Amino acid sequence: MTALVKLEGLSKSFAGIRVLKDVDFDVQPGEVHALLGENGAGKSTLIKIIAGVHAPDGGVIRIGNEELKAITPHEAAKGGIATVYQELLLFPELTVAENVFLGHAPKTRLRTLDWSQMRRRARQLLDSLDSPDLDVDVKVGTLSVANRQRVEIAKALSQDAKVLIMDEPTAALADADVRRLMTVIKRLRERGVGIIYVSHKLPEIFELADRVTVLRDGALIGTRAIGDVTEQSLVAMMVGREIGQLFPKPEPQVGETLLKVSNLSFGDRVRDISFELKRGEILGVAGLVGSGRTELALTIFGITPATSGTIEIEGRAVTISTPKQARNLGIAYVPEDRGLQGLVKPMTIGQNISMAALHRITNGIFINFKAEAQRAADAISQLGIRARGPEQVVGQLSGGNQQKVVLGKWLETEPRILIMDEPTRGIDVGAKAEIHALMGRLAQKGMAILMISSELPEVLGMSDRVLVLHGGRLVTTIDRAHANPESVGAAMTRATLAQEAA
Amino acid sequence: MRKLLRHETILAVLVVLALIVLASQSDKFFTLDNILNQGRLMTEVGLIAVIMTFVIVTGGIDLSVGSILGLVAILIGVFWKNMGLPLPMAIGLGLVVGTFAGFINGIIITRFRVPPLIATLGTLALYRGIAEGISEARSVRGYPDWFFVLGQGQVLGVPTQLWLFGIVAVIAAIVLGYTTWGRATYAIGSNETAARFSGLRVDWIKIAIYSSSGFAAALAAAIFVSRVSTTRSDMGAGVELDAITAVVLGGTSIFGGRGTIVGTVLGLILIQALKNGLSLAGVKSDGTIVLIGAVLILTILISNLFHRNGNR
Repeated sequence: MTALVKLEGLSKSFAGIRVLKDVDFDVQPGEVHALLGENGAGKSTLIKIIAGVHAPDGGVIRIGNEELKAITPHEAAKGGIATVYQELLLFPELTVAENVFLGHAPKTRLRTLDWSQMRRRARQLLDSLDSPDLDVDVKVGTLSVANRQRVEIAKALSQDAKVLIMDEPTAALADADVRRLMTVIKRLRERGVGIIYVSHKLPEIFELADRVTVLRDGALIGTRAIGDVTEQSLVAMMVGREIGQLFPKPEPQVGETLLKVSNLSFGDRVRDISFELKRGEILGVAGLVGSGRTELALTIFGITPATSGTIEIEGRAVTISTPKQARNLGIAYVPEDRGLQGLVKPMTIGQNISMAALHRITNGIFINFKAEAQRAADAISQLGIRARGPEQVVGQLSGGNQQKVVLGKWLETEPRILIMDEPTRGIDVGAKAEIHALMGRLAQKGMAILMISSELPEVLGMSDRVLVLHGGRLVTTIDRAHANPESVGAAMTRATLAQEAA
Repeated sequence: MRKLLRHETILAVLVVLALIVLASQSDKFFTLDNILNQGRLMTEVGLIAVIMTFVIVTGGIDLSVGSILGLVAILIGVFWKNMGLPLPMAIGLGLVVGTFAGFINGIIITRFRVPPLIATLGTLALYRGIAEGISEARSVRGYPDWFFVLGQGQVLGVPTQLWLFGIVAVIAAIVLGYTTWGRATYAIGSNETAARFSGLRVDWIKIAIYSSSGFAAALAAAIFVSRVSTTRSDMGAGVELDAITAVVLGGTSIFGGRGTIVGTVLGLILIQALKNGLSLAGVKSDGTIVLIGAVLILTILISNLFHRNGNR
């Protein structure tokens, strides 16, 4: 069988830095080929070369039987290569059908748009993607992320894609949508489409992939059939070392109650939630998308102040109506959306780290730039942030290092209560383990941590107790001893007692 | 190396070049008298532009400054002549009203989440309308002699208002560059959400900046009245565009997050030098406007070019 796309000895440098060194890669018809590696390993560059965004410096590319030095976007389209990017590139104000056929819409004999054919074909494509419920006439802007992704896949198929590149397709999806996407991908594979699948999530890769290729620091570590690898061996290939324990959790030293929330509500997003968070404890918060996890955090942190209920810190009732008040009470919030809520990306590491604790580097009016640089340098070494120095702009760092900067920023405020919302989303395996280890150390030092996560292994691995939310309500609290995928999963999907009582 | 290619450096070179070329065109250009006089003419726009830098760095814009200038100018006249208040008190009240007008801009923008362009476009019409309603097309004249020291007099051989401008510019440069308020201003302009999530008082800072912008316009009004010895309601029309031009020419990003007071001051000097030098060289004023527009676009182009090369 000839490969759909075959790369041989591919190299690429940006500004003198080699990001790909002599890499071989190929996709066969009807296979899912997973591409794995830590952030900065060269995955993005590789798929961008295949998609025709970047031209390689050396090596040979074969599309079918044609041999090329580089792929242009035009040749990529002609060769049937389509990409579903992580940040979906659709037009929110256009309808589903318009988005699917943008740029290659069917025309009537008068060269005007053939609307009926366009809608009919869009319908067929979506049906073939198991999405008969998706209306072709609604604006894309009103759709959920999962549905937008299906539109993007339909768009790729409408151009007769033979090779489909998917970059972290499940990063922003809820579990049920992930299941559905898996079905769609398997169906595409049966049709003979070659799929390049980039993801950090190993379980998905074991379920879907036929072969897996691992990159590290721009070099090819190896291509294996999925049957020949285990989760451990893949991780070792990715990071180049054994990661000792997946969830390094020291024995907790749970102390007295630090935060007590009683009957807390915010509109109908957060309803009547009560819980206690103790010193030295990691309290996990699980729930489906829309269950009110993040909303609970935003309410405690004062972004969306509570409409009713009380918050007590160390036994003292407090009102929190702004993030500033929350910070002054010793609450820190590492938000869900790093780029939007966590960091000011054009600013330097030093400026970001000092941002929530400016009072510590000023004499009231003037900033002490020396102290700022010093504190940033300390944070960089303590948190193991890989950067050129405090002067480097945060936007240039990898996801894991950016997350460490957000964490560093909040540790500067010396919080007693740390809320972490999706602490390791979109972060590679190595950085993930480092952040988990850090959470363990912070808890051991007596910090109370509230951890929101949609990754069940993370919730189960790190939490001393798990709060399960559904529809804005607290369904149940499960102890570490009783928390397992079945008990937490069941509570997440089936709202039990709490809802009936209401 | 990166530092050398900063926008301000490019601009400074351009200013020097312009001064040399213009000086060679007319021997009147490089006389002390002319330079000081140009400084005098630059002050009103300058005061407004300095505070406008803060506004634009937050990602906002204030189009109402010209109207605030007109409104305050009228009110100074009305408070003094029609209501019989002592002139210093009339000026003081004018400054209060101007600051309050800016405060209202800030409230509309932060509380009601109206985009700054729309909010201040609205108050541009509103404040000008009030000014015209109050003045009923009359002008106020006959101010006492001491008042003209502000707009026409000198202190230590330098025009009074130039001192004022210098003080405001230096304070503004220090605030923007070296204090937590300045840091917060940049943070808001780069990523307002993240600034809010970091516990910065985003709304409070924005209100303070728009209030200062109103205050700067009011101060400019007092100087304007003193310089031209009269009060009319159409004063300051179009001043907002001159100020914004200087700020943007000075390298402040219209999208926020980037910009310096030094850049704005260089922008002001370049524009004033071109206006004056070209008129001395016998170029008509419409020609001057064309050239200023061209210089603005060219400078930004060159700066972007260097910026891009520097990044990759």
